[in-house]
Amino acid sequence: MELRRLVAATAGLTVTVALAACSGGDRPARPAAAPGSAAASTTAAPATPKPGERPDCAQPEVFCVGVVTDVGKVDDKSFNESTWRGVQRAQKELGAHAQYIETTDPKDYAKNIATFADEHYDAVVTVGFALGEATRAAAKQFPDVRMIAVDQFQAPGQEIPNVTALIFPEDQAGYLVGALAAMVSKAGKIGAVLATDAIPPVWRFGEGFRAGVVATNPKAELNIIYHNDVGVDRTFTDPEWGKTTAHSMIDKGVDVIFGGGGKTGNGALLGAAEKDVPAIGVDTDQYFTVPEARKVLLSSAMKRLDDGVFDLLKASKDGSIKSGNVLGKAGYAPFHDMEAKVAPDVKAKMDALAKSLEDGTVKTGVAPVKPNP
Amino acid sequence: MERRRLLFIAAIISVLVGVAAFVGSARVPPLQIIASMLSTTLAVATPLTLGALCGVWCERAGVVNIGIEGTMLTSAFFGWTAATALATFTAAPAGLCLLGGVGAAVVSAMLVGLLLSVLAVTFRVDQIIAGVVVDLFAVGVTGFLNRQMMFEHGGLFGGVAPQSAGVMPHVRIPLLADLPVVGPIFDQQPIAFAGLLLVALTHFVLFFTRFGLRVRAAGEHPRAAATVGIDVRAVRHRSVLIGSAIAGLGGAYFTLESVPSFEPLMTNGRGFIALAAMIFGNWTPLGALGAALLFGSAQALQINLQFFREAIPESLSFLQQSSIVGLLPYVLTMVVLTGVVGRTTAPAADGNPDDGRG
Amino acid sequence: MTALLRPLLVPVLAVFTALVVGAGVIAAAGASPWDAYTGLFQGAFGSARALSETAVWATPYIFAGLAVSLAFHAGLFNIGAEGQIAVGALTAALFGYGLPRWFGSDLPALVHLPMTLLAGVMGGGLWGALPGWLKARTGAHEVINTIMLNYIAINMVSFLLNGALKDPEPGNVIARTPLIAASAELPTLLERYRVHWGFVLALVLAAGVAFLLRRTTLGFELRAVGSNPDAAAAGGIPVVRTTVIAMALSGGLAGLAGAVEVTALNHRHELGFSAGYGFDAIAVALLGRTHPVGVVLSGLLLGAMRNGATRMQFLTQIPVDVISVIQALILLFVAADVIVRKLYRLRTPGERVALTRGWGA
Repeated sequence: MELRRLVAATAGLTVTVALAACSGGDRPARPAAAPGSAAASTTAAPATPKPGERPDCAQPEVFCVGVVTDVGKVDDKSFNESTWRGVQRAQKELGAHAQYIETTDPKDYAKNIATFADEHYDAVVTVGFALGEATRAAAKQFPDVRMIAVDQFQAPGQEIPNVTALIFPEDQAGYLVGALAAMVSKAGKIGAVLATDAIPPVWRFGEGFRAGVVATNPKAELNIIYHNDVGVDRTFTDPEWGKTTAHSMIDKGVDVIFGGGGKTGNGALLGAAEKDVPAIGVDTDQYFTVPEARKVLLSSAMKRLDDGVFDLLKASKDGSIKSGNVLGKAGYAPFHDMEAKVAPDVKAKMDALAKSLEDGTVKTGVAPVKPNP
Repeated sequence: MERRRLLFIAAIISVLVGVAAFVGSARVPPLQIIASMLSTTLAVATPLTLGALCGVWCERAGVVNIGIEGTMLTSAFFGWTAATALATFTAAPAGLCLLGGVGAAVVSAMLVGLLLSVLAVTFRVDQIIAGVVVDLFAVGVTGFLNRQMMFEHGGLFGGVAPQSAGVMPHVRIPLLADLPVVGPIFDQQPIAFAGLLLVALTHFVLFFTRFGLRVRAAGEHPRAAATVGIDVRAVRHRSVLIGSAIAGLGGAYFTLESVPSFEPLMTNGRGFIALAAMIFGNWTPLGALGAALLFGSAQALQINLQFFREAIPESLSFLQQSSIVGLLPYVLTMVVLTGVVGRTTAPAADGNPDDGRG
Repeated sequence: MTALLRPLLVPVLAVFTALVVGAGVIAAAGASPWDAYTGLFQGAFGSARALSETAVWATPYIFAGLAVSLAFHAGLFNIGAEGQIAVGALTAALFGYGLPRWFGSDLPALVHLPMTLLAGVMGGGLWGALPGWLKARTGAHEVINTIMLNYIAINMVSFLLNGALKDPEPGNVIARTPLIAASAELPTLLERYRVHWGFVLALVLAAGVAFLLRRTTLGFELRAVGSNPDAAAAGGIPVVRTTVIAMALSGGLAGLAGAVEVTALNHRHELGFSAGYGFDAIAVALLGRTHPVGVVLSGLLLGAMRNGATRMQFLTQIPVDVISVIQALILLFVAADVIVRKLYRLRTPGERVALTRGWGA
């Protein structure tokens, strides 16, 4: 008896699903959204129509850009947000039509990219190392769509015609601020609080920093602490841990703090600010993203994600874009409020070092990816 | 019994601090390491203590609360938003903005507590499910609202990173704060001090006042309590609200005392560690404090082991992996629950919706 | 017929009410609820690929929802599905890439795949059996122990993925296992779509759980222990054994959810996957009223919502967190069915069953 009911119910379910499949997308959605239902009374104002309905991206003159974030949000104050800012600039200056999809689960990478490709978007920006495989697979599936792969190093000889990887010499930026830290530190004790070495750009920042410190002051004590004990989705979002760790270092005599990796790194900067210890940020000029740490912020190891993304979109629009790896700009941020506290010879050395790194006379010696033990 | 447990906790903390001092002794004077361990431990323990106190209040009255995580996350968000809004839109001094933020955190936590107690006490919904509802709600609502506040046009802060009100200043108790080693205990921020005070206060109220007696009666024997004229429901509502208000302070710690920013999911499971601390502490305020300190010192040790990694022999290098030392609170809690180190006893009617009204 | 439909009434009304409130939230966010829900619907059911993806999303929900439900029937609250999924995924991945290496030769899929799935079941099952045993032996409450085991699982998996089990391929920096062998891959049902045999397996197991609970001695014992352990003990039912078995089965189902994700979709285990399936599974179980058929339906619904969220965001650019809010609302209305009953003036049923007992008892 019970079993028969079960079978009946399962059959009913199958029919329902099948019906839904046949009905297609033009069918009205759920009853809950029906006008005149209770929804109408709870919704205060009628929703404003989106500025500019979705254009037809299949038209050659319409330039459509889609962004697929990593598991994370476009307002993460980190790489997703910087990318989105570059895309927004393309919206303004190139008249591009831009939209984003935020990934909630890695198994959706492919689906989210395909959502844009199916609608004939001209370029899809995929953000983060983790999307590497999905981006390459999608590029083969949709050869007409330009994939802009942020932080996804393409191995030599394995380039795909419609994939342009935007990568950054994070090691150089790290090297620069590492040298700065070594020159500024009086005690010769330097600490780095970083999110996780499982993400290549973070690892390169950290190793570049190490190389810069060692090259400048071989006797300096350098400590790098990663927040590896939580998942990749959480390691960037734990400012409290960053601050606690920075404090623990400062307690033991460290007098320059390098904080990197989303909000976790920001926590380290804030911790340094609380104890009045010079701090160095990462990714963008953090003078503007962590205003509370301004008074101690020496500089930031920067990668210009927004500029890089914008430049590639521009090149994509006018057809001059190249495939394979494109190197974005990296460097160190101005001293701002600390300007007066940095000795002139330190500034001169930093200038010289930046030039030497750019023309290749100084090398960081950091591999593009972390070697395995 | 109680003393034995506190001694046990103190012994483990001493061992953890001792390990750190020993490992780092080649590079940093041991006393300096001990002071550093102490200060990290206190910082980490603050939200755990407050969360665990919330658990003590609720469960002593017979209401299981696994929504502590959600309560703290919600109050962290509203506390930060209120303080930042005050700083952005009014000319109020930073201290006032922060106080406003703490107020908002506590009120929002009490609203969350109200949701829990209406579900669990009034509607007699399964209490654990009610707690899960609270946790899921907190994640969704804070994530959504944070986005609405911060991002794009039309948000409260118009899409730019707002200038926050900063964090609570340190309060130094003169003379005592200058003591060697134990100095950090007397140089903390207000919520950390409040946590210690609330432990004492909770202990006093629960065990030495009429109200406390009623709370415990509601948690141990609701039917008997009802027959002597105690309104069990009212007592439970009140206890949940008091506890949630304390958890609200715990939430405020994250965004108003530790760092001046909110991040989705930023409580990162500490509400559940707080729950473990309450159980570890055998449903008593002093025990909860001890357990929170124990868990705090485990994290402090992990940071120190990474700092002194060169002093750790190759064969033990896995110890500096944060994922291994990070296991300590959870494993210890399970061990304690098995009764190996003294039996834990929950209030007899904890989780029992019976309120003597039939 | 009405007897068949009546248990659906409250869940359906709960979903409806949650969607109505959700529409208010969407409107408050400045988007059109109509567009949002149209997008949600299209994204979930609008095309063959959408249907396939909905099934893909629903699969772990059904497994984990069955896991939580099964424990409920034995009076146990398994909050540990999250950890059991992680352990199941890890052990499945380990057997998926490791077995051929240990044997020194390729294995036929007919042997390798079942062993891999079974490894996931065993991993999750052991992870579930431990709190069951602790509960039965020492009285330690399974809720707190499964929460603790969630965190222990996450830390342990992270430790292993960063160390012993890390993919040694040159250039890999991600904490993940190597790819599993092709012989351990769970095939897709249809060409060009991702929907896989795991979905069928989930449906079969739903029927299996229904059969177990209603038609077998073990099922009877589980339910007896669940409704009154003292009476069950007095009636000669071995409570300790039954409790352990219930949690082991529950953990095994959750572990299978992880194993299927590994063998059918990701083909390896990677840190960070399965964010929140464990908690969502509680919602699935409750929405499905812990009945296997209900779990299948509610797993499909929640899977559809998660899947459709992509298109919803594509059309309206509202944050996907809306889905979490709606999901929490659904759970709220299902858990507190009093609200729904008052709202729609339904009769209250005579008896109310407490699902779990507090840890004081």
